[in-house]
Amino acid sequence: MIGKVEVKPLPKVDLPPLRQVGRPLRRVDALGKAVGSTVYAADFSMPNMLHAKVLRSPVPSGRIVGLNVDRARSIPGVACVLTARDLPGAKLSTDMPGQTGRKERAGSAAPVLARDVVRFQGEPIALVAAETEEIAEEAIGAIELEMEETPGVFDPEEALKPGAPKVYGDDNVVARWKIRKGDVEKGMAEADLIVENTFRMPFVEHAYLEPEAGVAWVDDQGVINIRVCTQVVEHFRSVAKALGIPQNKVRIRGTMVGGGFGGKEDVTVEIFLALLARETGRPVKLVYTREESFVAQSKRHPFVITHRTGVKRDGRITAAKIDMIADSGAYPYLTPYVLLYATAMATGPYRIENVSVDSVAAATNQPFTSAFRGFGGPQAALAYEQQMDEIAKAVGLDPLTVRRANYLRRGDETATGQRIASEVWLEETVTRAIAGLGEPTPSSKTRKVGRGFASYFQSYGRITWFHDTSRAWVGLELDGTATIRCGVPDIGAGQANSLCQIASELLGVPLERVTVYATDSAVTPLAGTSTATRQLYMSGNAVHKAASAVRKNLLDRAAVHFGVGPDAVDLADGRAFVKGDESRSIGLDELASACAADGIPLSNLALFTAPFTDGIDPETGQGDIWPDFTFGAQAVEVAVDIETGQVEVLKSVACHDVGRAINPAAVRGQIIGGSHQGLGYALMEEYIVKDGITQTPSLAEYLVPTSCDFPATEAIILESGSGVGPFGAKGIGEPALTPAAPAVANAVADAIGIRIHEVPITPERVLAAMKRGARWRG
Amino acid sequence: MTLPKFELHRPESLDEALDILASSPGAVPIAGGTALIVDMRGRRLSPPVLVDIGLIDRLSGVRIEGGEVVIGAATTIAEIKESDLIAQHSPLLSEACGLFASPSVRNRATIGGNIAYASPAADTAPPLLALDASVELASASGRRTVPIDRFFLGVRRTERRDDELITAIRFPIPAEGTEGRFRKLGLRRADAISVVSAAVSIGPPADGGRRVRIALGAVAPTPIRARRAEEALSAGPIDEGAILAAAEAAASEASPVSDLRGSDWYRREAIRALVRRLLRPVVEGRSDG
Amino acid sequence: MDERTIRLKINGREREVSLPPNVTLLRVLRDLGYVDVKNGCEKGDCGACAVLLDGKLVNSCLVLAWQADGREILTASGLGSIEHPHPIQEAFADTGAVQCGYCTPGMIMATKALLDVNPDPSEEEIREAISGNLCRCTGYAQIVEAVKEAARRLAGGGDSG
Repeated sequence: MIGKVEVKPLPKVDLPPLRQVGRPLRRVDALGKAVGSTVYAADFSMPNMLHAKVLRSPVPSGRIVGLNVDRARSIPGVACVLTARDLPGAKLSTDMPGQTGRKERAGSAAPVLARDVVRFQGEPIALVAAETEEIAEEAIGAIELEMEETPGVFDPEEALKPGAPKVYGDDNVVARWKIRKGDVEKGMAEADLIVENTFRMPFVEHAYLEPEAGVAWVDDQGVINIRVCTQVVEHFRSVAKALGIPQNKVRIRGTMVGGGFGGKEDVTVEIFLALLARETGRPVKLVYTREESFVAQSKRHPFVITHRTGVKRDGRITAAKIDMIADSGAYPYLTPYVLLYATAMATGPYRIENVSVDSVAAATNQPFTSAFRGFGGPQAALAYEQQMDEIAKAVGLDPLTVRRANYLRRGDETATGQRIASEVWLEETVTRAIAGLGEPTPSSKTRKVGRGFASYFQSYGRITWFHDTSRAWVGLELDGTATIRCGVPDIGAGQANSLCQIASELLGVPLERVTVYATDSAVTPLAGTSTATRQLYMSGNAVHKAASAVRKNLLDRAAVHFGVGPDAVDLADGRAFVKGDESRSIGLDELASACAADGIPLSNLALFTAPFTDGIDPETGQGDIWPDFTFGAQAVEVAVDIETGQVEVLKSVACHDVGRAINPAAVRGQIIGGSHQGLGYALMEEYIVKDGITQTPSLAEYLVPTSCDFPATEAIILESGSGVGPFGAKGIGEPALTPAAPAVANAVADAIGIRIHEVPITPERVLAAMKRGARWRG
Repeated sequence: MTLPKFELHRPESLDEALDILASSPGAVPIAGGTALIVDMRGRRLSPPVLVDIGLIDRLSGVRIEGGEVVIGAATTIAEIKESDLIAQHSPLLSEACGLFASPSVRNRATIGGNIAYASPAADTAPPLLALDASVELASASGRRTVPIDRFFLGVRRTERRDDELITAIRFPIPAEGTEGRFRKLGLRRADAISVVSAAVSIGPPADGGRRVRIALGAVAPTPIRARRAEEALSAGPIDEGAILAAAEAAASEASPVSDLRGSDWYRREAIRALVRRLLRPVVEGRSDG
Repeated sequence: MDERTIRLKINGREREVSLPPNVTLLRVLRDLGYVDVKNGCEKGDCGACAVLLDGKLVNSCLVLAWQADGREILTASGLGSIEHPHPIQEAFADTGAVQCGYCTPGMIMATKALLDVNPDPSEEEIREAISGNLCRCTGYAQIVEAVKEAARRLAGGGDSG
């Protein structure tokens, strides 16, 4: 078991003192949600509104040989029924549509509605709009669908074999990446030992509490308005393309999202709604059932990851050869990028000279896989951190010693040769996480206690060759209140609130007097996706830039008012004042009026750009990929019941360097919440598919953690100030999840002395592993 | 999803309810609806007529009558969990009701509904088997009582005829010194369908032996009594050896399936562990954690 | 199907509505405008639709509207408003217990149900009381803290800042 660790004092960091940023203020959206005033996508209705339903394929692989909608169309109250025949050429680009100016990746299109071939259970085939939900359901039932099942392929390794049924292209290969760094053969030859292990991860379901939903209507300018829960308002471009209409004739009004985690990153209901609204000329509402949400939307990629590591007796890694196979499911969606993340982070936060990674994603007739918090990073971490513990066991050193022998340091290069410019607080975070576990709980005859930890790194900000940008408008009203307009979608992590806190800080306006108008593709400056842990970095910086411009104008004008230099003035609590002599102050309302009278701008629209790079080398994988990384660790103590196999998490401690915590309560919430998803990933979550058919169709079969399952993760927040976000912030949304599952896997292995190479680590898998050779559900 | 169409009656007397059941083919009683509504929404069941028994006063409540505990069929799981009478006379049943589903479901689900629905994993069934309960049935043509160990016929099948209503469940007050406990094993620590469950009731020494009941859930088409396991403990000392024999017997009497929650192998292992664990405190004379 | 006129007292207000029997309480509440009652699964697995029915916590998706005839229903929007939030709602907002907010109304009703019978619950009792309310964002810790804080404030502890 990991023993005591010495926690050294943190390096001295000079973080400038701030007034609003850094305080756990009540979020601007919190009370509205608590009193039930916040109107989510399904809570909205329009007069004369129709209700939509989707007919979905019951089989995972087949051809549509008959599709007759006449009977459905003739049911009284049915306004329209659409099939692929009614949408010539309508395609859904699944390749980061609408987010950048890049050309779409070839082969990335999926049909909006299946025409002949069906590739997954749940694939949409027809759309109905009717006066009531009941009539719409009846109409769905009245559609005569005749399908001929065709042989499918339900395993990515099978899909790659010649002769496998073809789901994508002529070889089912959706994407490949490779890394070639140094000389792996030489490195292996130098090694004292070679350690090899294979790890497997299943499909995982986002299970946000809010199923997909939206309402669309055509307004008086002929613009199709879509009010929808989404992580991406820029999908207005995909909708326009699918409908064959101009981009400025589609408006996405994003709502407060009831959980996204990547599952609402791709187009969900938008195109269906737009088609039906256009066809009927009436508002249309579409709300997914939970079961529909399960089959209709993406999952986390299953992976099979094999590590072959050459290591010296002192724990230093001399070479790493890693192979990864991912299941892309029925359509590509964001697979190539998820695969890239996993590939580039395959080695973990370690300094390895000789690296060879080969990764491939294969198409199958299974649920399509796409973005899910961590985006390949958690899968990579489940493999690399378990491998590190296995290396420790093989060389007979403790797991922390082996980490320390290999940790990246500031200025080192990743496996793709990207130099890390920020602080790398791996040592600082791992020691605090482990120390946070306190004294070990003693084992008993039937309960074996074990401890494990995981160090990790996870990118924040998008792939830099996407040339990511974000825009925000910040203004001061004449009464001293502040307004932000920003396209940012708020998916629950406080994306909108952070922007308010930043503006509040810079303009000296109390947080409760800042209003943000967000998430409208027509009227709020486009801020890009709420994905890739990028919003604080990108939109936070855009707001910082815009608010700073307004601040400058205010300070300059206030300086004139007070007869001092602008450096001598500050803004706080709704006032401008002379530093050191706060009796000399004026209200921001007075100052705003003075600026307005002088024609001095009280608002600013700012564009923030991430670094723009070119792509990595296709042969070697070398090149910069992300703006920066977050580093951290999680340590977990578990008790394994050796008679039933049940695993109980006794303690969980996570320590992350977040650069700067804009709102510490929100950061803590992200850490605990992300950790919870990771603990669930380790111990109970598996979206089971058999021969392409979902076996876990609802929240009764697919288990997510309840309040009784895990203790609160203690969140230790460190601030190195070295992030590239506003005030030196890094991102925490995805990083919070990444180390949890490997920490648990390592703790279980420590408890029972046997490693289980799959997740979830169910009681049956534990018992079976302990009783080697016994038959068990694979 | 909407619910299918049906007629709903809300009789205020038992006789009225029984008349409706007798005269409407396909009529199904509904109490809390926590299982029925789910099945109807999923189109697994589409009864044309539902008879809501929630307004019939006498079907609810816990009382003592002639040396027996009598629980009205429409008594909610929450009411049983909170009942002082149940806590006093059969804490085994209180325990099971406390582990049942979730707080909001407990406030609606009823004991009659739970056994009528007859899921192999019904959590009130093993305790009722361990308590030698009997099920009171009423119809327009009469009344009858069926012992609980003859009530369950198969997966989702019971002795109840279509025109009958379960009115109450009763069991003899266990003898002073009886120890009983229930445990379930699920894939998470709350609100989980049982992978396996077990109820154990051990009576005080009497006539050179003792009354032993070991009932198992989710390991057969119906909840079952593990009679060979019971025999292993019904006479002689309850020592570690006897407990192991009983646990082994219970595991072999189970006939579990393999499904997404667990394989048949695992369920037997889990039952063995669970039964041993439930019996151990009887040996050690103190409560297990 | 025949329609029947039922009377529901929702958040203190008498409402009359005519509807067939195959409509759940969840559906009728939302149709009447109480969209703070959320649909997360419509089969009793998630607790997002939880309301108090005659003071008891229930999943409104598993109650037929007719079964609520003549009874009292309390939803989150009946407990408080932006202008007059209930101490439970303020505690949730202050403690970081609200992230995406979709589970929040149901979670708050579960809290109300708990504190109505147990004004000083232990952590274990709190976790048990909300065990039927799934939250995918917070990991529950700040929700548990919010409940404790709400209990404190309701006992006259005042705003802890």
